[in-house]
Amino acid sequence: MITPTLLLAGISLAPAEPGGFHAPGPEIFNFPPLWAGAPAWLTKPTLLAMLSVVILIVVMWGAFANPKLVPRGLQNVGEIGYMFVRDQVARPFLGKDTDRFMPLLVSIFFLVLLWNVMGVIPIIQFPVASHIAFPIVLAATIYVMRIYLGIKYQGPIGYFKNMMFPPGVPKPVYILLAPIELLSNLILAPFTHAVRLFANMFAGHMILAFFSLVGFYFLFENFGLLGAPLGILGTLVTIAMTGLEIFIQYLQAFLFAMLAAMYIGQSLHAEH
Amino acid sequence: MSEQKRTPENDGRDFADAAWSVPAYLMSGILVWGGFGWLLSHWTGVYAFIPIGVVLGVGLAAYLVYLKHGR
Repeated sequence: MITPTLLLAGISLAPAEPGGFHAPGPEIFNFPPLWAGAPAWLTKPTLLAMLSVVILIVVMWGAFANPKLVPRGLQNVGEIGYMFVRDQVARPFLGKDTDRFMPLLVSIFFLVLLWNVMGVIPIIQFPVASHIAFPIVLAATIYVMRIYLGIKYQGPIGYFKNMMFPPGVPKPVYILLAPIELLSNLILAPFTHAVRLFANMFAGHMILAFFSLVGFYFLFENFGLLGAPLGILGTLVTIAMTGLEIFIQYLQAFLFAMLAAMYIGQSLHAEH
Repeated sequence: MSEQKRTPENDGRDFADAAWSVPAYLMSGILVWGGFGWLLSHWTGVYAFIPIGVVLGVGLAAYLVYLKHGR
């Protein structure tokens, strides 16, 4: 099978040559149930998702269950994380309403961060959000909440009126603009909210899997004059990409929480 | 923007709002009016309605971004 990735690696294999290099495909995201006879939903991604929740609860409990005026140890770390979310994520969008939504935003940020970081922890190595169901659930939660808050604070008519009719336009132009606003706010915004996180994690996992497989294959199974440099290159690129991936994992968790704060903020106050 | 106080906080918020809503607006513009153009071309058989709709949609979306964030 000749794939673009094989051509990139400078080799072409005859079709169906056994033991040849096979670039990883989407099948690396499919997992069987954890053990024979386990329920079909109990796979590695769901286990990791639940594990992340447990880790988050334990860490936050340890940090804030018994808070001291002068923080020490875990509480210090927890407060730095909390302040980061409050000052960088929540405040620019929520202003004086920040404190009400901090529990939600802190939970979202750290849960998504843990999900993502699972992608580079040795042996675990699977970013939970690369299964789109997980980001969809979070984004849908925010979506329902934002419509509820919008109707509650701006009224059922006012909310949609403020959303669809920006002031300062001659009336006939609204016929052209209102459908764009409606589609953008009610359908594309939540869609991109979930897909942005999913696609980044999916692509990152594919890249890491590909380069580590290149390194492994050429160093251990096809070691030779051509194989050795390729294997070393693959390994080096894997290390570099892991670094980049850690940065992206953090960035996407930040963006996901930030967009959640932005959507909530838009519902609390009419835009302009 | 006109009625709102121009504090540094609001400026930051407005900037980020603009940055993240632009792609969604452009996509919606293309989908809504490009889709309308596609429907028209489907009914009338004049294919020119599709590109006209897409270009109109992008233009309207850009205008909308200007309305909300550019003034």
